[in-house]
Amino acid sequence: MTSLVTARGVSKHFGSVRAVDDVSFEIDRGRILGLIGPNGAGKTTLLKALLGLTDCEGDLSVLGLDPFRQRKKLMQNICFIADVAVLPRWIKVRQLLDYVEGVHPNFSRKSAETYLTQTQIRPESKVRELSKGMVTQLHLCIIMAIDAKLLVLDEPTLGLDILFRKEFYANLLNDYFDEERTILVTTHQVEEIENLLTDIMFINDGKILLDSTMDALSDTYVEVMATGEDAQRARGLGPIAETEMFGKSVMLFEGVSREHLEGLGEIRIPSVADLFVAKIKEARK
Amino acid sequence: MIAQLLTLIRREFWEHRSIWVTPLAIGILVTLGVMAMLVFASGFAKELDLAIFGAQNLTGDNERRIGLILFFLGTSWIFLIALAFLIVFYTLDSLYTERKDKSILFWRSLPVTDAETVVSKLLTAVFVLPLIMCAGIFVTHLINLILTSIWVAAKGGAAGALIWGSVPIIDTWLFTLVVVISGAIWMSPFIGWFLLVSAWTKRMPLLVAFMPIIVVPLLEWIVFRTRFFASAVGERNDNLPIFRGMDVEDFFEDKEWMHSIQELRLLEFLDIGKFLTHPETWLGIIVCGLLTTAAIYVRRFRDES
Repeated sequence: MTSLVTARGVSKHFGSVRAVDDVSFEIDRGRILGLIGPNGAGKTTLLKALLGLTDCEGDLSVLGLDPFRQRKKLMQNICFIADVAVLPRWIKVRQLLDYVEGVHPNFSRKSAETYLTQTQIRPESKVRELSKGMVTQLHLCIIMAIDAKLLVLDEPTLGLDILFRKEFYANLLNDYFDEERTILVTTHQVEEIENLLTDIMFINDGKILLDSTMDALSDTYVEVMATGEDAQRARGLGPIAETEMFGKSVMLFEGVSREHLEGLGEIRIPSVADLFVAKIKEARK
Repeated sequence: MIAQLLTLIRREFWEHRSIWVTPLAIGILVTLGVMAMLVFASGFAKELDLAIFGAQNLTGDNERRIGLILFFLGTSWIFLIALAFLIVFYTLDSLYTERKDKSILFWRSLPVTDAETVVSKLLTAVFVLPLIMCAGIFVTHLINLILTSIWVAAKGGAAGALIWGSVPIIDTWLFTLVVVISGAIWMSPFIGWFLLVSAWTKRMPLLVAFMPIIVVPLLEWIVFRTRFFASAVGERNDNLPIFRGMDVEDFFEDKEWMHSIQELRLLEFLDIGKFLTHPETWLGIIVCGLLTTAAIYVRRFRDES
């Protein structure tokens, strides 16, 4: 079994609002999945269900466990960094390491200390004395020192400057990720991570709009920049989205082969951000 | 399991520095008070008598022994009042601040269940805080006995006989320890209630915790003209069922006890069996268990987003 997460008909509602609405998907081992959606799309609720922080309807299995009912066992093999899961401000770095070492069977203090020596963070500093970037670095050092099978990152770099953001993902790829580990990440800065992803999932109004590998994405979706009659002919092939740029029509096609589009204009692979906007607009029609 | 519990309790020490700062501060204040008294006593003719904790004319063995026991119990009392405040503020803060500063999701990202977290806080309130306070009491007593011995010896007195010979030190300490721990268990329904308020309230835990204790008896009186709730809470405060039919306050006023004071053992006035078999002790533990379970339930099921 390579499937790490299996969701079948998972729903979660708050009163009459369906935050997650009958979603089904699988996440395989050794993948980096980007979960992309606008605010209020249900991303965080879905992540919370995966992490056992909230109960849900349907069948949800993470590492073969029921996340809500077997949360302690699950948390031995899952790590998460959420923008809202802030480190306590009163704690010292050394105390934080002591604590995680005391409660987490898969934590290597030595690794965490090695990672920390590569930063400006000192063991006797309190979290409240660190900048936001350093707090995220500290959290990442701890997470990377935990031998976990699934890492969930919910807007991990929100509010950080570009240097910290680049470093964060570089560390994650170089020092952490391997084929035995799986990363699930949500972010608004999708253009920064799209080159890291192996898989992508779009979510809107609690429903999954797209669930694909990045390789399949470039086969399925094509963007054409065309003008005049070429644009008219391209329009006839049924683009899912069209925008104007520098006097040219930029059309996005789904499932239309490249041969059909060649000769109509400049063909390129759409960015995840453009595809996301097109899919959301399509869903809201 | 035990190692993890110890880590969780250590965490409480890091977060709530008042756990050890309070007994330290009181210990320092008491010691400074005793030192001031020793200096003050130097101005009087009967300075040796005065030095034995401020009571005049304590020349007799019995009186000196009573004076020392009163010093022991009096200073313990200051610590215990502080302990009551400490437990109230600690428990009300323990599950509230983690939600307010949003660190709860970090704590919950680690393999520790909500039950383990809440129980670690309950154990800290019922056992660890009282034990730390008792340690503070004992250390303060020892330091003050040593300081006074040095002073008495410097004035030519026989400190060994006058001070150490008169102090039923182990007896008083064990008495304090048993009363403090049984008292904390006896009051545990309130601790459970404070934990539940701390896990549940969105703001002002202190007000939310004490409001029902004031409002419910008032409403009960207005609506039913009865006082069951008020008397239940009041009796819980007054009647720790461990004393062997003795009133500690009256005890020292009763002259008959003076004669047998050298044989006096405070522990003899405690009946641990009575405490452990008293139905209300167990009723209290059950109420505490139910309220703590409710606190665990709230922490587990409440969506913080």
